Amino acid sequence: MKSLIELKNVSKHYGDFCALRDINLEIYEGEVLCIIGPSGSGKSTLIRCINYLEKYDNSGEIIVNGNLVKKGRSLKNIRTEVGMVFQNFNLFPHLTILRNIMLGPMRATKISQNKAKNIAYDLLEKVGIKDQADKYPYQLSGGQQQRVAIARALAMKPKIILFDEPTSSLDPEMVSEVLDVIKSLANTGVTMIIVTHEMAFARQVADNIIFMDDGIIVESGTPKQIFDNSRVQRTQTFLKSILKE
Amino acid sequence: MDDDNIIVGANIGNVPWEFQDKDGTYIGFEIDLINHIGSELKRKINIVNIPFNGLFAAVQSGRIDLAISSITITEKRLESVSFTQPYFDSDQSLTVLNNSKIKNLYDLEGKIVSVDTGSTGDIWATANKEKYKFAEIRRYEGLVPAMLDLVIGRVAGYISDIPALLYYTKDKPNLKVTEKISTGGNYSMMLRKNNDLVIEVNDVISEMKQNGSLNNLHKKWFGKFADPNSSTYKVMEMPASDVKLSLNLSETFFNKQVFLDTYPMLIKGFYITIQLGLISIVLGLIWGLFLSLIRLYSPIFIKMLAKAYINIFRSIPLLVLLVIVFYAFPFVGIRLSPFNAAAFSLVVVSGAYFAEIFRSGIEAIPKGQFEAAKALGLSRYHAMIDVILPQAIKIVVPPLTNNCINVLKDTALASIVALPDLLKQATQAQAIAANPTPLIVSAIIYLALLLPMILWVARLEKKYNSRGQS
Repeated sequence: MKSLIELKNVSKHYGDFCALRDINLEIYEGEVLCIIGPSGSGKSTLIRCINYLEKYDNSGEIIVNGNLVKKGRSLKNIRTEVGMVFQNFNLFPHLTILRNIMLGPMRATKISQNKAKNIAYDLLEKVGIKDQADKYPYQLSGGQQQRVAIARALAMKPKIILFDEPTSSLDPEMVSEVLDVIKSLANTGVTMIIVTHEMAFARQVADNIIFMDDGIIVESGTPKQIFDNSRVQRTQTFLKSILKE
Repeated sequence: MDDDNIIVGANIGNVPWEFQDKDGTYIGFEIDLINHIGSELKRKINIVNIPFNGLFAAVQSGRIDLAISSITITEKRLESVSFTQPYFDSDQSLTVLNNSKIKNLYDLEGKIVSVDTGSTGDIWATANKEKYKFAEIRRYEGLVPAMLDLVIGRVAGYISDIPALLYYTKDKPNLKVTEKISTGGNYSMMLRKNNDLVIEVNDVISEMKQNGSLNNLHKKWFGKFADPNSSTYKVMEMPASDVKLSLNLSETFFNKQVFLDTYPMLIKGFYITIQLGLISIVLGLIWGLFLSLIRLYSPIFIKMLAKAYINIFRSIPLLVLLVIVFYAFPFVGIRLSPFNAAAFSLVVVSGAYFAEIFRSGIEAIPKGQFEAAKALGLSRYHAMIDVILPQAIKIVVPPLTNNCINVLKDTALASIVALPDLLKQATQAQAIAANPTPLIVSAIIYLALLLPMILWVARLEKKYNSRGQS
C-alpha cells in the first residue's frame, strides 16, 4: 500500500508547553484512521498540523501526497487536497447553504459557477439535505449544519478528510445522522483521519486506531487490538473510564 | 443685562482699529473711541473678541450691545440694525505682492482675488466680478489668513478697506497697496434696532467732533488730521433706513426676504458640502480599510507604522491639520486648492477612525471562520473578500455610519480655508444681509441631511442589540 501522509519526528511547542512529542506516523491511501484519547492529549493539534492550521516545530516534517507541508506557495495546493470538518462546523453564516459549498470550488480551484452549483446540489443530495439549499446556516439544526460542513469539504474532491471531533458539539439525538454520513464515506476510498470520542463508531469504521496521551502515541493498532487486546495500561484505563459513561 | 457695562464686540486683529499690543492689551482707533465714549457716559466698556461676520448676529441677539470693527454702513445692513453717525471715510483698496505684475484691477482678469467674508470688499468684489473678469473670489476669515495666501501665491490680490491695508503694509516691504477703489464707504458703530443707547453714543460722537478730540485720535493713529470735509470732522445725521422692518423674533431669525435673496447661495454651498462629504467618505473608507488590514496583517515594522499613523491622526484636531495642510504645505512646495486641502485632511483623519472600526469588526469574527477559509484552500485575498469582510462590515455598520456623519459635519471646518461650502455661504450671506436667517437656514439644511442618518443608525443599533440578547 502507498503511504499518503507521513509524519517524521513531529513536535509542537506552545512556549514551554509541549503539545506533541516526536510523532512518527504513516497513513496509507484509503485508510480510515481514528484518533482517541483524553482531552488535551494532542489529538486535534496533530490533525491541525497536517493542513498547517498549526505550525509544527522545525525539527520535524510532514509530507502529504509527496509535498512537504510548510508555509509558502505549495500550501494552497495541499489544502485543496485535504478537507477538514470542524467541531463547531464553522459554516459561513452570511452565505446560503448552497453558497457555502460552492465557495471552495469557485475560489480555490476556479471552477465555473454553474459547475460548482451542480457539484453542490449533488453533495447536498448525498448528505440528505438537498431541500435546505437556499437556507442560511442558522436556520438548520446542528446535525444538518455538520452535514453541510462535510459536503463543503467534499466539494473540493479531497484525497484526505480530517475530522476534528465532528460530533462533540451535537445534541445526542443528532450524532448518528452525522456518523452515518461519515460511515458512508469510508466505503468511497477517501482517506480519513477522525478525532473522536465515539468508541463504538471508531471500532466500526476504522481500519486503524491510535491512542494518544500527553502528546505521544501511546498505542496503535487495529480496532480489535486496541479495544479488545490492549497491551498498555494507560489505554486500558482510558477505555475503561470512557465506556463506563 | 448689566446696566453699568456696555458690552462691545470687536474683531480683534483689525489694524489699526482694534488689535493687541505686545502685552495683549486691546488698542486701536476704535478702542480709544469707545473708551472715550464709555468715560463720557460713565459706563464701563467690556470688549469681547468676535470675528467680523459674527458681529451681526451678536448684535441682533443682544449678546453684545454694540459692535465696532470698521463696519461700513450699507442700505442692506440698515434694514436689520442701527448705526451711529459715521466717523471715518473709507475706500477699498487692492493689495498685491510688491514684485507682482498686477498694477490695477484690470490686470486681475482670470485671476483669483481674496476678500474678508461678508465685508465691504466682499460686497464690492461680488458686484464687480463680471466687470473685471475675476476667475474666483475667495473668502477668508480675517486679514491674517488672507495675507498668508497672498504671500503663498494662491491668490493674486486682496481687496479690503484702504486704511487697514495702508497701516498693515507700511512695515511689510513685500506687500503694497497698488490701487484705491472708490466706494465712498463710511465707518460707524453698529447696534441693535430700537436701542436707545445708539442716541447716547451718537451724541458723544457729535461732541467729540465738535471739540476736536476725534480728530486728535485721527492724528494719533494716522499721523495727520482728517480732511475738513470728512465725516471725522463734520457732525452728521444718524443714518436711517427707508425700509421699516418690524422687529419681532421671527422676522429677525427667519426673514422671508433675506431667505429668498440668499437661498441660491446656500444651495451652491450645499452642493459643495455634499461633494466634499461624499468624496471624503468614499476615499476615507477605502483608506481606512487598507490601513486596518496593514495594521492587522503586515510584518511587525509596517504594522507599527500603521499603528502610529492611526494614533497620531486620531489625536490631531482636524482644524489644526487643515490649517497646516493649507497654509504650511505651500512652503514645502505642495499647493492644494481649498477643496483638495479639505478633502485630503478629512480623508487622512477619518481614515484613521475608519481603520479602527474595521479592525474591531475583523477582530470580532471567530477564529473558526479564518480556519475554515484556510482549510478550503482560499487565498488570503479571497478569505478576506468572500468570508471575513462581509461579516465584519455588517457588524460595524452602525459605527461606520456614525463616522460618516462626523465627516459630513466636519466639512463645515473647510470654511476656514476659504472653501465656499454651506457654512461659508451662510456666514457670507448673513454678513451681507446683516441678518442671521441664512445661518438658521443652513442649520436646518444640515439637520435635514444628518438627522435621518442618525435615526437610521439608532434603529440599526437597537436591532443589533436585541439580536445579541436573543
